Amino acid sequence: MKDWLHSVRTLVWKDLLQEWRSKDMLTAMFAFAILTLFIFNYAIELSPVNRAEIASGIIWVVIVFAGTLGLNRSFIAEQDQGCFDALVMAVPDVSAIYFGKMLTNWLVMLFVSVLILPIYSLLYNQSLFNAGFILVLVLGAWCYSAAGTLIAGMTVQTRMRDLLLPILLFPILMPVNMAVVKAAGGILAGAPLMDVQAWLVFLAAYGIIVTTVSIMVFEYVIRE
Amino acid sequence: MLFVNKNLKLLSFLAFLLVLAAFAMVLFYAPIELNMGIVQKVFYFHVSAAWIGMLAFLVAAVCGILYLNKKQLKYDFIAFSAVEIGLLFTAIANFSGMIWAKPIWNTWWTWDPRLTTMTIMAFTYIGYLLLRRGVDNPEKRARFGSVYAIIGFASVPLTFFSSRLLRTIHPTIFGADTGDMAMIPAMYQTMAVSIIAFTVLFAALLWHRSLLAARESELEILRAQTEVLEFGEVLDD
Repeated sequence: MKDWLHSVRTLVWKDLLQEWRSKDMLTAMFAFAILTLFIFNYAIELSPVNRAEIASGIIWVVIVFAGTLGLNRSFIAEQDQGCFDALVMAVPDVSAIYFGKMLTNWLVMLFVSVLILPIYSLLYNQSLFNAGFILVLVLGAWCYSAAGTLIAGMTVQTRMRDLLLPILLFPILMPVNMAVVKAAGGILAGAPLMDVQAWLVFLAAYGIIVTTVSIMVFEYVIRE
Repeated sequence: MLFVNKNLKLLSFLAFLLVLAAFAMVLFYAPIELNMGIVQKVFYFHVSAAWIGMLAFLVAAVCGILYLNKKQLKYDFIAFSAVEIGLLFTAIANFSGMIWAKPIWNTWWTWDPRLTTMTIMAFTYIGYLLLRRGVDNPEKRARFGSVYAIIGFASVPLTFFSSRLLRTIHPTIFGADTGDMAMIPAMYQTMAVSIIAFTVLFAALLWHRSLLAARESELEILRAQTEVLEFGEVLDD
């Protein structure tokens, strides 16, 4: 267990450091997120009246789209340099690879959210800094990276690669989308946490189920 | 392994007879529903097709688990075949539902939990087929297919549950305190025969399709071998 935790920590550190040195992915995700926000601005007339209700949906879509860019990259280095085998040999159990990658993806998504939230608040003069709202985003991003890491591990080894990831991921994530948008929308509209409790519990349950299943099957994704 | 035998022929014939019987019962035996009229009769095949759609994906997930444990390609053939057939029946369920919904709900489509769940499930399995097409190595294809079938099947009840938390207008026939549609015995009997007929049909189709999948795999191996003879090497992946 100690070994396992150590491997996870090292993996996360390695990926974050690699990302921090190049900042390729973060820059791309951030720019993409802002651009998506602008597209929404013109696609949907965001009048001050409906803005509050739609904000949760828009923020989530922006984060999901940007997150998909990040997920696509999460195994690219290993695949292109052919280090999958080395990675498998380096850890006590392959579930550590899944866990490490999932944590990295989660952290990157949260980092992008941290950048996007103040910008949205600034552009639309509506503060999104609400503990409940942030809790929903944290849970949603976890569910997202839990399912996404497993599927990205497969798609990166296929011929179609980044083309395939959203096609495989979005249907599986549909319940998460529903729960996040409902819960976050309720919170932004001023409902107390108790009212959206069912959705929060649902998100936590989804995260636990998908993480558990992924840990069990990840071995077959990565080991020849 | 998988081969054609007498049992398969018998099963195919039985499926043919049962579907014919179910069809006759829907047309001549089941009464015309009072409020909805003749269009209600689509319901028997609609429910049966939806049931087969779900059964097929259950079979795919179970075969996925079996494949990952035993590494025998026959489970992959069955899983792949089940998904293909399941997609077809899900489409039948969706479209027959639309035929019913237009006169009854006055719309082809509504964002009801069952409708959305079935459609998202169909997309999950379209993804499954695309994933398989993207992998050339048969062993890896089987592995990825199994993993995706398992995670996909885990997400189906979650999708249903989450959309159930929103409200539903779809009629509940079974397991509800107050049915939206009062069923008389003749209707139940027709329903039961339809479901049995579709299940047997599914078994027969699955068997045939798995055989075909096994043949395709043999062909793939033969092709690879001829390439070795011609070019002296095989490209990995």
